[in-house]
Amino acid sequence: MKIVFRKPSHIIVTILVMSAILIVIFANAQAKATSMGEIAAPSSEPAPGEPADIEASMTAMMAAVSKAPPTPNTDPCLHCHIKGEEKGIWTPLSRWVLFGSAGLFFAFGMYRSASVWRTRTHWKPITTRAAEWVDERYEISEPLSKVLSKPVPNYALRWFYCLGGMTAFLFVVQAVTGILLAFYYKPTPEAAYASIQYIESQVSFGAGIRAVHHWAANGMIVMCIAHMLRVFIMGAYKPPRELNWVTGVVLLLVTLVFGFTGYLLPWDQRAFWASTVGSEIAGAIPVIGDLALIFLRVGWDVTAQTLSRFYALHVIVMPILLLVFMMGHFMMIRRQGIAKPL
Amino acid sequence: MVAKTPHDKEDSIPFFPDHITTEAKVVVGMLVVVLAIAAYGMLSPVGLGDPADPMNTPLHVKPEWYFLALYQLFKYIPKTAGVVIPLIAVIMVVLWPFIDRKPDKSRKTQMIRFIIAAVGVIVFIIGTIWGEVS
Repeated sequence: MKIVFRKPSHIIVTILVMSAILIVIFANAQAKATSMGEIAAPSSEPAPGEPADIEASMTAMMAAVSKAPPTPNTDPCLHCHIKGEEKGIWTPLSRWVLFGSAGLFFAFGMYRSASVWRTRTHWKPITTRAAEWVDERYEISEPLSKVLSKPVPNYALRWFYCLGGMTAFLFVVQAVTGILLAFYYKPTPEAAYASIQYIESQVSFGAGIRAVHHWAANGMIVMCIAHMLRVFIMGAYKPPRELNWVTGVVLLLVTLVFGFTGYLLPWDQRAFWASTVGSEIAGAIPVIGDLALIFLRVGWDVTAQTLSRFYALHVIVMPILLLVFMMGHFMMIRRQGIAKPL
Repeated sequence: MVAKTPHDKEDSIPFFPDHITTEAKVVVGMLVVVLAIAAYGMLSPVGLGDPADPMNTPLHVKPEWYFLALYQLFKYIPKTAGVVIPLIAVIMVVLWPFIDRKPDKSRKTQMIRFIIAAVGVIVFIIGTIWGEVS
């Protein structure tokens, strides 16, 4: 389906109509918000410069003093607040079910009608057409099928071959929960502690998300070490897979740095002093010790700068490093196949 | 392509959909565990200690459990040695495949490596427990 603008005037008319609709919607929302005390109503009082009736202004002032100010909006759900609804589970749930199923029905109808549209010769689902359209341009189906049809040896179905994959899965869990936590976390000494309290007490499922991030971090290290022991015992690092072992060790080290930098972020006593001692240990490295210490702490003490640096390392630098080395790790596995046990 | 891979077609399954299905089962299992952890976390949150106070050093500072064994090591040997020993250990681990290059001939070599790994793990666990109780 294509909307065709045959004349420029069509575009102008369309823009006008759409902006009119937007203005109506905005004005409506504004009026609703005003009636709910969201924002101040437009003042009908005369501007301060203009001469005004003293009596009228006095009564207005008295009214303003006697009337209590509207209670500030503490409701985090703006939607429900503006709508003035009691928040419960059933209203949103039934709405989701109703409109969701209607939407699915509509989407399915669109899909069907788009599939039969202009197909005189032979019927094809629109998704097949889309795939063909993409493949015509990028020619990915052949390499993709090669990648997907690569044979995997039967011995790789034993349970201890899935430890590395579980580590990768836990990393995905860490990434998702980490992003969710980063929406609310504030990396400053004044706000960090309170923001985590806020996550645990106010944010929906916040305590669960933080618990998953906390425990899956430990699980990731356990899985990483278990995978490494499996590879070590079975001798899967032997030529030609030396570099895969090296990248694996780097991945373990990066995971440990993740743990170390993430440990400071709650900014409680335990975090603060563990990081102090940890960076002190880094400072004991011969020759480059002081440099390492100053790099970690941004100065001689653990301060707000340290928190910022650890946060940046934790959410930007380490994920990039981990992804790069993970890609190398996985591509080498694909290239060389899974090592054959004795 | 078949000649390059170390295994024959007979004792292998295609990556898609057979192997992917197996992996998906593992992923679903892990997801159940993760959701269980989330439910547990909702009931008893991870929580926080006292807010950080740079002026007040607590009596017992402890790192995460995976650094505990290392931390215990630092208590008993001079600082520089305490840093150099783990560094050398890490370098050894990184360079291990370049040292142990011969392909395995029998189960004996695997057994030896298993014993090495077991000793390492036991030492690590003892160090961790020691660090936890001390």
